[in-house]
Amino acid sequence: MIYLDNSATTGRKPAEVILAVQKALNELSANPGRSGHKKGMQATTAIYRVRERVADFFGAEGAEQVIFTSGCTAAVNFVLKGVLKRTDHIIVSSLEHNAVMRPLVKTGINYDIAEVSNSDEETLENFKRLIKPNTKMVFCTAASNVTGRILPIEKIGEIAKNHGILFGVDAAQGSGVIEIDMKKMNIDYLCVAGHKGLYAPMGIGVLIARRGIENTLLEGGTGSNSESFDSGNTIPEDFESGTVNLPGILGLGGGIDFVKRKGVKNIYNHEFSLAKRLYNGISKIPLAKLYTDGFEKGKFVPVVSFNLGKMNSAEVADLLNRYNIAARGGLHCAPLAHSSISTLKSGTVRLSPSVFNTAGEIDFTLKVIDKISRTRKD
Amino acid sequence: MSAKKYLIVTGTVTYAIKGRDILRKQGIKANVERILSDGANTGCGYSVAVYSSPNKAVELLKLGGVKILEVREKLNNIS
Repeated sequence: MIYLDNSATTGRKPAEVILAVQKALNELSANPGRSGHKKGMQATTAIYRVRERVADFFGAEGAEQVIFTSGCTAAVNFVLKGVLKRTDHIIVSSLEHNAVMRPLVKTGINYDIAEVSNSDEETLENFKRLIKPNTKMVFCTAASNVTGRILPIEKIGEIAKNHGILFGVDAAQGSGVIEIDMKKMNIDYLCVAGHKGLYAPMGIGVLIARRGIENTLLEGGTGSNSESFDSGNTIPEDFESGTVNLPGILGLGGGIDFVKRKGVKNIYNHEFSLAKRLYNGISKIPLAKLYTDGFEKGKFVPVVSFNLGKMNSAEVADLLNRYNIAARGGLHCAPLAHSSISTLKSGTVRLSPSVFNTAGEIDFTLKVIDKISRTRKD
Repeated sequence: MSAKKYLIVTGTVTYAIKGRDILRKQGIKANVERILSDGANTGCGYSVAVYSSPNKAVELLKLGGVKILEVREKLNNIS
């Protein structure tokens, strides 16, 4: 299969990840952070070493700031529901995923949406304009899972810092593809998906919290302070109640090792060149419609959305599937982003290459899209 | 080996491992040990065990940002 749905999850995992998961299951299957026996401590230490690598990779101060979650969605929920109060105000971007919008709407917290335009300067002004006296947080995606647009998060972080506002980032699409340094970018809370650009298994994510989180969302056994029914809010353990996903965590460690070995810049260059090849090729196909004004390096992650005339995006994705090409049609769980490009009714077909895709696969995909366009009438 | 050991109680295992690493980097022998409730009302938890100079160890840990709940003196049971 030509797998071009890597924004949903990376379709091929590197050896580092597979070996790490195998090691977790074969050699370290003991409950970490619970018992004091040798195997338990080996498992516990292995997890700590992954915390260190995660903290280092994202420019956090230390391993103790790294919370493992079931995914990026859980991490976002911890931030929005654990940090904000009902009387707070928050600013989000016009490209947010439902992982942000649904918990936000559920909390009933007052929010405003900053429009992300083609211009970074305009985008930054849009964020600034919305700041109020009770604005507690700016929370935005690092890059859109629909248009690929990279937000100017370092400059947004600067605005937040200058106004004494917390800054949270949903890095589901950016991790492993663009450089993210929490200290440099003044990011207080970083939400990461393990299974996309970090090539780890599904079911593991990270919340890196440089500031405290007042409320836990999930309480239970943590392996410490167990006489008390009050779990407290010590990061990370009080936010990891229950048995952690040891294979997933070690797999994440393997994924970070892989990305570091390849180099984030090299990965981006390769994937962007494939996405650009797609973008340029699709632009020449009859009936094809693209949704960004250009596709420049440094401004987009490798995600391309398009439609063919009036064809249903899910139908196009299904036709691609018959040619053994994996793409995703529809709203990509991001109706807000689709509203911003006026595709809320149609959705789009999304293609997203990974480091394992090749130019040959892209060229074949373009031939197929062209064929679909020419053989189907409007 | 020392007849006594000092358990620097950190509560969570993350801080215990962080503390152990800090001390070992400074050439101080240290291990992570699980602890049980000892009348200190903490229930289960973790500590960094050192075998001499506990005050120096505590100072280094505090400098390193390790949260310390208490220090307990124990006999070092060597079989």
